[in-house]
Amino acid sequence: MEKKYLTVALTKGRLADKTLDLFEKIGITVDEMKDKGTRKLIFTNEETGLRFFLAKGPDVPTYVEYGAADIGVVGSDIIMEEKRRVYEVLDLGFGKCRMCVCGPDKAGELLKHHEMIRVASKYPNIARDYFYNIKQQTVDIIKLNGSVELGPIVGLSDVIVDIVETGSTLKENGLKVLEEVCPLSARMIVNQVSMQMDTERISKLIFDIKEQLGK
Amino acid sequence: MKLSDSGKKLLHTPEGLRDIYGEELKIKGNVTGKIRREMHLYGYEDIQTPTFEFFDVFSKEIGTTPSRELYKFFDKDGSTLALRPDFTPSCARCAAKYYMDEKEPIRFCYEGNAYTNTSSLQGKQRESTQMGVELIGDDSAFADAETIALLINSLQSTGLSDFRISVGNAGYFRGICENAGIDEETEFSLREFISGKNFFAAEKLLEESGAGMEVSRNLLGITELIGSQDALERAEEYADNEMSMAAVKRLRDVYEVLGQYGLEKFVSFDLSMLSKYNYYTGIIFKGFTYGVGDVIATGGRYDDLIGRFGKNSPAVGFMIPVDALLEAMRRQKIKVELPEKATVIKYNEEDYKKKLKKAQELRSEGKSVRMMPE
Repeated sequence: MEKKYLTVALTKGRLADKTLDLFEKIGITVDEMKDKGTRKLIFTNEETGLRFFLAKGPDVPTYVEYGAADIGVVGSDIIMEEKRRVYEVLDLGFGKCRMCVCGPDKAGELLKHHEMIRVASKYPNIARDYFYNIKQQTVDIIKLNGSVELGPIVGLSDVIVDIVETGSTLKENGLKVLEEVCPLSARMIVNQVSMQMDTERISKLIFDIKEQLGK
Repeated sequence: MKLSDSGKKLLHTPEGLRDIYGEELKIKGNVTGKIRREMHLYGYEDIQTPTFEFFDVFSKEIGTTPSRELYKFFDKDGSTLALRPDFTPSCARCAAKYYMDEKEPIRFCYEGNAYTNTSSLQGKQRESTQMGVELIGDDSAFADAETIALLINSLQSTGLSDFRISVGNAGYFRGICENAGIDEETEFSLREFISGKNFFAAEKLLEESGAGMEVSRNLLGITELIGSQDALERAEEYADNEMSMAAVKRLRDVYEVLGQYGLEKFVSFDLSMLSKYNYYTGIIFKGFTYGVGDVIATGGRYDDLIGRFGKNSPAVGFMIPVDALLEAMRRQKIKVELPEKATVIKYNEEDYKKKLKKAQELRSEGKSVRMMPE
């Protein structure tokens, strides 16, 4: 039978770099991947039987749910938004930031009553869940694909729901954090079937990473 | 708009629904035939229930499908009806209705389509074929083992060999929760986190709920109770109450009986396998194989369900989502023998009578014949 690789989907960008650093610390190196000029899409580490590829964040849980990747590393914002059926096994501790409701100072008043307001977000599911189930406020949700901060500035929406890291973009645009929805960080997710069929290898990997994170 | 354009619009089916025809349907028929034969070999009897029933039959207290995922509509007199999302509630209803005073165990098997109104763009079919069994009126470990053995034999009969049945027991988790006095709401969230192997979310929840150190350790430990028999040994260490101990013992008993069937090598344990709803009361199991991201079987013991229809009777059963199984077989390139192709007999107006006679002869011998004009 052909050799079965464990396939890992990484989120393109900073998250991937940090994940690879972490893997390196537990003795799994993929030198090819560090070469930024490469056009290869998939990278193999033969001795450990691991395969890596890069994907856009929202696609990582999809690859993992369908078993195209056994393991994925992705921000918890995307896990919450996509609601895929995957095991969420580890908090990797990096990529920390917060999901917040933001807007101009005066919009704070709108959140105190159950008034109907307009909310712009790249994360309509998270926004809906927060306003409907936690705040019990009826809202109109507008899905945007980037520069969400524009929403309140040009009058498209009253507030936005977005990721806040340092808050400097908000500040420069006269917005501020009004409420925190939840803290966020990078997570390791595992396909449900892989977890059952390849328990030993995956458990060992989780164990090794957990130990490394504890250091 | 031209007529041909409007005609074209009717060609495709709504999202999540599809046609099955030709070779694919032949394969499907072959596979379901083999599975049904296994079910009959174990003495299960076919049952057909209505495609839609009163909504209450599938409601929150009884079913496992969230009510917003049911297809609901109204009857002439205004009562709410729902398309069946699975067969178990209907089988439970039948057991109570037709076998109220039956003391002997009842064995049902079924095959048919079920419907769920799932969200779009998730690549899930809204109509799917399910096959399964219910063994009603027997609460022994033998009954548990029989359903698992029948499931393994059914999957084997299709030609699948590389698969695993992962078994847990709902009583284990419930025992620890009850012992610790954890409230229902926390238990519900905890069940979701633990079955999602989401260790840290469960940890945070327990911290917030003010559970003691030992309770937290026992509950969080469940996420790691996955593997072969060693998982059961570890499970015994964490079990701090009778119900949990009994749950582990039941798993050992079932494993032993499966050893007598000679099928234990297909079985592993996962104590963190819990259903989101408080539906299963004893063993819970799922079938996994390579090639699909979905399970190829689900099952377990639900001793309280039939009581909801007025007959207090324990029950255990499983369901195979046939479409997922076929997908896995396709990915694993498992060959399915197809029925012989029909012999073609060509005819023209003059020799039709002669050719027809020949065709009928072959048909009476059991051969398929297709008559075609020259």
